[in-house]
Amino acid sequence: MSPSHLVDDETTVNVARAALFAALTGAFALVSVTVPVTSIPFTLQVLGVFLAGILLGPVWGGAAMVLYLAAGAVGAPVFQGGSAGIGILLGGAPSFGYLWSFPLAAVVIGYLVHGSTEVRRPSSVSPARLVVAMVVGTIVIYAFGALGFMYVQDVGPEAAVLAGVVPFVPAEILKLLAALGIVRSDVLHAG
Amino acid sequence: MTLVYEPGSTPAHRLDPRSKLLVQATFVAAAFVYTTPRGLLALSGLVAGMLAAARTSPLRSLWEFRVVLPVVLAAPILEGLTFGAPWFVLADAIGPALASVRVILVLLVTAAYVRTTPVRESRAVIQRSIPGRPGQFLGMGAAFVFRFLPVLQDDVARIRNAQRVRLGTERRVTERVRLLAVAALAHAFDRADTFALALQARCFAWNPTLPEVRFGPRDLPALALAAALAVAAVVGAT
Repeated sequence: MSPSHLVDDETTVNVARAALFAALTGAFALVSVTVPVTSIPFTLQVLGVFLAGILLGPVWGGAAMVLYLAAGAVGAPVFQGGSAGIGILLGGAPSFGYLWSFPLAAVVIGYLVHGSTEVRRPSSVSPARLVVAMVVGTIVIYAFGALGFMYVQDVGPEAAVLAGVVPFVPAEILKLLAALGIVRSDVLHAG
Repeated sequence: MTLVYEPGSTPAHRLDPRSKLLVQATFVAAAFVYTTPRGLLALSGLVAGMLAAARTSPLRSLWEFRVVLPVVLAAPILEGLTFGAPWFVLADAIGPALASVRVILVLLVTAAYVRTTPVRESRAVIQRSIPGRPGQFLGMGAAFVFRFLPVLQDDVARIRNAQRVRLGTERRVTERVRLLAVAALAHAFDRADTFALALQARCFAWNPTLPEVRFGPRDLPALALAAALAVAAVVGAT
């Protein structure tokens, strides 16, 4: 076999990490935690998107989310609540807009955190910068999500925001705070 | 129980995965064009036939999509509600209600595919239909996700159990989520590095041997159905 067919060492490590991150996001999709006060249950999928951008950077973080969608499309039970299938990505389920936004959100978060395609040590990034990146990422996810919801469910913007955005805002704030704690705790060396 | 492949020898199992993907894609297109009571009724008949060919129970499949269902039910209700009398406008809720039926039909078709198509075949289709490195990356990556998903789900479940027995559930939600994610990430990165080393040791290549996927005579009805759905969608849309 010619050496050009072998995957080089750096790419191998990055492919393995991207795949593991995609699988972890899928495992997070099954973890249901209840927000105090509103008692709406939420899953940790979006935490996977935040961390993919922050820890893997814009290129491999985005790639990890593309793998997440590809694996879900061909039947890995990685979407919300362990669902799967290409029908969901083609507009078959209300979550369609949110899912398509994940790669873009990971790229945006990664780029805002690291400032370029080079991956810096995440714990050296200022908390303000992390928060701004995650807030922008969340806006990307929910903008796509609400548009997808309007399209799939044939409803107006008010109903889309009421059913697809408002119930999840408190949970997003919790995930953002948790992600901040994870990155600041500096137990991970992804660079 | 989540939606996964189950080995079997139903007519749907024997189809080429590409035929099944074509049927799914054209079905979604047709369902979007014919979101009317009559159109959805005809498509429901088609879905019943597909589920029968895959020996897949509609009720069990719907149960597997149960997390999606509350939103699907809420959408028409929210759209129908108004601030002030008459509080609920039925005419506004009809469009979203039909859309909800469409969502359920598409999910059932998807369930039939997932239940009858092994991962190796899906990977081969990705890699053969998307040319070059992107296709190879998506194919190998999707296969790795399948391989590691159960392992990481176990990791997460073990960490949550450990939290529970040590009264970790008494902590604040953000603290619980942070501890869970830190532990899960540490496991995932360890596994990724070990896995990368194992791949390097085995001459990890861009061009692995993939299972043969080939159209046969038994794919003809499925391809004809996909063609009919595509034509119907184009005719209906124009």
